[in-house]
Amino acid sequence: MSQHEHDHPHAEIGQSERPGYYDMMETAVRELLIEKGLFEAGEIRRQIEVLDSRTPALGAKVVARAWVDADFRARLLANGRTACEELGISFYDDTKLKPYRARAVSEPRAVLAEFGTHIPDDVEVRVSDSTALVRYLVLPRRPDGTAGYSEEQLAGLVTRDAMIGVIPVTAGEAGVSR
Amino acid sequence: MSGIVLATGEAPPFRRGDRVRVMTRAPVGHYRVPTYLRGKSAVVERVIEPAAIDNEEEAYGRNAGSKRHYYRIIVPMTSIWPNYAGSARDNLRIEVFETWLERIAS
Amino acid sequence: MSQTENLLKRLPNDIGGLPAEPIQRVDHELEPWEKRCHALADVLDFHKILNTEEKRRGVEALGSEMIGKLTYYERWIAAFANILFQKGILTPTELARKMDEVAARWGDEPPHPPA
Repeated sequence: MSQHEHDHPHAEIGQSERPGYYDMMETAVRELLIEKGLFEAGEIRRQIEVLDSRTPALGAKVVARAWVDADFRARLLANGRTACEELGISFYDDTKLKPYRARAVSEPRAVLAEFGTHIPDDVEVRVSDSTALVRYLVLPRRPDGTAGYSEEQLAGLVTRDAMIGVIPVTAGEAGVSR
Repeated sequence: MSGIVLATGEAPPFRRGDRVRVMTRAPVGHYRVPTYLRGKSAVVERVIEPAAIDNEEEAYGRNAGSKRHYYRIIVPMTSIWPNYAGSARDNLRIEVFETWLERIAS
Repeated sequence: MSQTENLLKRLPNDIGGLPAEPIQRVDHELEPWEKRCHALADVLDFHKILNTEEKRRGVEALGSEMIGKLTYYERWIAAFANILFQKGILTPTELARKMDEVAARWGDEPPHPPA
């Protein structure tokens, strides 16, 4: 009957079929809170843009910068968040899968092996159980044989798995974003 | 250090290198210290600054109140898992709020 | 330790060290509503309406059956609804009416959860 004056969710992001139950719940919650003046629709749109800009490629950029710029590396290790912000980047971790969470703390070497990474017995493995308070960016070791590489080439070597610390970065392999 | 007087609770009671034990209480409701860690001995790797809100309180929307410190502690894997398959030097690190830790007398 | 004590003493996501299957890597592209849901969480946190720890607790409070059956963002939106009810920001009736209104944009069937 009445036309909607505010933005429609499926006017912003194209949708051709009936949304699922939780999709509609999200829409309902969001619209109610906007009607009550708790925030504005534009804030959600802007935050979606921020989220869309977070890709593994950006993390690889941070790592490559740390490899070529010793001062940046020192700033990164002292305060990861502000150093990343220098490059216009924020980052998140992807290790929410249930088997990962169950097994990474008790059998880290077996988990690493499933990613194809074998750690010799004489190398210490440190597992970080993350809390919301402190997020860790893994700074992988720069691989041997990359002395002449440009920052862009170096970034191309860094994969998402390397950034969560389950595989090392190797030279001569293009980073595949999985 | 002259001129600075810290109020009660501001100076962190634990320092890097201190031996601590994670307490063994089992709260009903929300907690942030995993079960596998309860009662384990650890060494403080670093004090997280600045003092902060207890995240277990924060989970109930209680964002204000007295702040204490979180500590990143190191726990040997072999002390957590009876049949740990890996190097005896492997360890786990995690941030724990002050109220979960007690000092181990050396 | 009795069986039922464990249900109270161990939160559903406190699974470090418990047995689990091998890890399967799946690349999940977020659906548009999931992105909106994540953005909603961030905006609520920014406005100090609902913080990350509250969200975490809200998800735990769904209980292990729901945690097992709902997907990641489904758990978030369900937790948000509960917490907003607890805070008196929304009422269940308001939400139900709004969900009916949203559903009506797509046809006359009221919204129903999957069986």
